[in-house]
Amino acid sequence: MKKILVVDDEENIRKLYKEELEEMGYEVTAASDGALALAAMDAAKFDLVTLDMRMKGMDGIETLRRLKEKDSAVPVVISTAYEEYKHDFGSWASDAYIVKSADTAALRDAVKKILG
Amino acid sequence: METTDKAELAILSEISRISNSYIELPQKLQRIIEVIARGMEKDGASVFLVDRTGKAVTLTAAIGLNQETVGKLTFPFGEGIAGWVAEQKVPLALENPFSDPRFQYVPETGIERFKSLTAAPIMDEDRCLGVIFVLSTAPWSATSSDITLLTTTANQISGVIKGAQLFQNIKDRLAELATIYEIGMALTSTLDLEQLLSLIATNTTQALRAQGCALRLMNLSGVRAPATAAPARYVSDAVRDVDARLGEAVAEKTAREGRPVLVEDAGRDPLLVNAPGAPPISIISVPLIFHDAVTGVIALYGRQGDRPFSEDDLQFLATIASTAAVAIENAAMYERMEDLATEARTRAQELAILYDIGSAMSATLNLDRLLRIILTAATMGGTGLGFNRAMLLLTNERTNTLQGMMGVGPASWDEAGRAWGEVSRKHKSLMEWIQTGELFEHRDSELNALARSIRVPLDHGEGVLALTVLEKKAFNILDGASSPVVGKELREALRVNSFATVPLIAKDKAIGVILVDNMFTMRPITDHDVRFLTMFAHQAALAIDNAIIHSNLETMNKDMRIMHEQLVQSEKMAALGAMMAEITHEIRNPLVSIGGFARRLARKVLDEDAKKYIDIILGEVTRLEGIIHDNLSYIKDISTQLQPGDLNAVVREVIALYDDELRQRSIALVKSLSESLSPVLIDLQQIKQAVINIVTNAMEAMENGGILGIRTYPVEGGREAAVEISDTGPGVSAEAMHNLFNPYYTTKARGTGLGLPITHRIVKAHRGTIQFKNKEAGGALFTIRIPYGPGRGA
Ligand SMILES: Nc1ncnc2c1ncn2[C@@H]1O[C@H](COP(=O)(O)OP(=O)(O)OP(=O)(O)O)[C@@H](O)[C@H]1O
Ligand SMILES: [Mg+2]
Repeated sequence: MKKILVVDDEENIRKLYKEELEEMGYEVTAASDGALALAAMDAAKFDLVTLDMRMKGMDGIETLRRLKEKDSAVPVVISTAYEEYKHDFGSWASDAYIVKSADTAALRDAVKKILG
Repeated sequence: METTDKAELAILSEISRISNSYIELPQKLQRIIEVIARGMEKDGASVFLVDRTGKAVTLTAAIGLNQETVGKLTFPFGEGIAGWVAEQKVPLALENPFSDPRFQYVPETGIERFKSLTAAPIMDEDRCLGVIFVLSTAPWSATSSDITLLTTTANQISGVIKGAQLFQNIKDRLAELATIYEIGMALTSTLDLEQLLSLIATNTTQALRAQGCALRLMNLSGVRAPATAAPARYVSDAVRDVDARLGEAVAEKTAREGRPVLVEDAGRDPLLVNAPGAPPISIISVPLIFHDAVTGVIALYGRQGDRPFSEDDLQFLATIASTAAVAIENAAMYERMEDLATEARTRAQELAILYDIGSAMSATLNLDRLLRIILTAATMGGTGLGFNRAMLLLTNERTNTLQGMMGVGPASWDEAGRAWGEVSRKHKSLMEWIQTGELFEHRDSELNALARSIRVPLDHGEGVLALTVLEKKAFNILDGASSPVVGKELREALRVNSFATVPLIAKDKAIGVILVDNMFTMRPITDHDVRFLTMFAHQAALAIDNAIIHSNLETMNKDMRIMHEQLVQSEKMAALGAMMAEITHEIRNPLVSIGGFARRLARKVLDEDAKKYIDIILGEVTRLEGIIHDNLSYIKDISTQLQPGDLNAVVREVIALYDDELRQRSIALVKSLSESLSPVLIDLQQIKQAVINIVTNAMEAMENGGILGIRTYPVEGGREAAVEISDTGPGVSAEAMHNLFNPYYTTKARGTGLGLPITHRIVKAHRGTIQFKNKEAGGALFTIRIPYGPGRGA
């Protein structure tokens, strides 16, 4: 079973993503900030990370950099309320860039495309 | 014998008494012959005197003869008894003169009464002065003592004549001096050249008993007279013809030699061989000399049959000429000075007018008011330039045309009479006019409408108006019909054949044209008028230039104010944007949770009512997310990713997107996509968004269905590609018109008012334009134009 790490500082979003992705058959771990996410990475190996951009403490960009230092191969799906980062990071630092929406179809599509 | 001697003595003493009396020569002679006739007991006597020619004798006194012939009867030397005696200088006694071959019978004299006569010459040394006759009605054979007595008497008469001649000479001399003095006085009495010349002519003609006078001037200050070959500057009527034939030759010689010339007989003088058949008259010609230079020639023509002019006459004329030369020079100089003074006066007047107009013009920076002042000045008499009508045209640099701005002038004779009458009655100056403001009350005149309708392209440089600007020069069109630069159209529009144009030149640039005419008075426009108008136009141009600069400054100022406001606005917007971004993010996250779980819930709940409620939640969440999306895309700067794209393809995508909705709203689609639209550099996503925003508006405008029109086409000239979207809704309301592109302006209950602002920004990011208008048939029409890259079109 493929393992996914969901990083988001909004508890309800973590919960929503966890339920949606588990329903798709993935094992989901959630982290509420960048530091916890990096700690989780140390504890286990993940097949995919969903990463919020704006978080309290360490923000998404910093987290993304550190995370890639640990495991440069892990696919990252940026999931953010900010549409404008798309051009900056969309293509080079992450594998997918989705704008958060109540309709989780975009998220599910992106994950499915990467993990198969 | 004693008796005779006594009688003789009595006669002689009587004669000497008469000689010394103070009576004129003819009277003296009359008395003397009376004494002789009485003394010799005869009943007739007469005296002939040699006349001015010196070659004939004229009856001067007579008794017993018809008095009518006195002064008229003349015998040339050698003819008649009188002529024979005068020539032979010997006494002659004829008992029966009528049978003598020398006798010439002149019936008018009444000589036939007499039977015999005795004549003796009146001698002065060996010169004959005349002939004395004693006539007898009885046959008379003169004795030698008779002849001696007559000869003695003749001698006494000679003395009388000489005395009289001497006296006459002195008198003549005095008269001559008086004449010279008088002429001198007369000549200094006037500075009017024409009057002076006429004075000189009449005075010299009179003084020398001439027929007439001709005066020629040359080398005088300010008097244009090339040389001697000039026609006379002044000539008496009596000698006009003869002067025309002979004057120049004589004057030429006089001027060339600088000396007086005496022609005794024009008919025979070698100087005048080129004028065959010249009348036998005498001519004297004297140079007028001033400061060693010949300044003219004065010539006198004698009377036909008169004794020729003498050296004395020449001397006399020379004396007069020396005074005349100075007087003429003075008069000429004065005339020139007067010309200069008149010129200076007109110049001063013109300058005063210009000054007046100038200060009037500088009193305003309002272009319309200024143009009216200029044209009023051009058409006002008295303190203005006084043309009948005037028009002003200004160049438009952007369109490179000359554009009529204003026309001032009456429309008809009637109006002209009224307007100008009013002006002259009130004696108002331009300044007064301007100050009272009456100037600006003119209603829109026909001429003004005509002026404003004139548009002349400057590219071709055809026609007098364009040429006035392009060549920066004035045109005085005297006959428009025959002028190659005046078109029929212009002539017919102006309804005149003569007019003038001057350029308005400010800082070396022609900024317009003033056109004037005298339609009503028909007064020809002179070159002087044009020169003055040019000076006026120069001043007008500067004033206009100033006014234009001022108005440019004003608009620039306004533009800057607007820009500043916009800047403030955009700063506000930026701040607002940052805030909005913050808020939308804060809202987006909870929305994701609300919507996300509602969806999950929907999948799990089976109750239909609950499902309906969940759908409502989801619907609202979707709408809120849409609002957030719009907000964010408006707030964020639009950076375009340009790549060649097909506008038609974009349009087709949008249509596909709304296919269902159109059907639901019963909106018919009419599309016309140009085949010849080549790919244009666009950000596909953004342009799609721009089109969507307009299309959704159109659909929303047609609540009860209608027709949605979508058209693409290459813009004329091929520089731009256009997308046009039209609807059959109510059209954009007047209020909405001003706010269409302002963010958050909406008339819809559920609108954000960001649709069109976003579209606007997108189009602007493509360097395109967006336009809208309400169609006459109803409904709105929006057009987006996207330029092809700089590589195309141009
Ligand atoms: N085709 C049209 N016919 C009539 N009015 C129009 C049309 N297009 C726009 N408008 C007017 O312009 C306003 C502004 O339009 P805009 O698209 O910017 O905002 P909106 O449509 O009101 O809101 P949103 O686009 O965010 O839903 C509209 O509210 C409407 O009053
Ligand atoms: Mg809209």
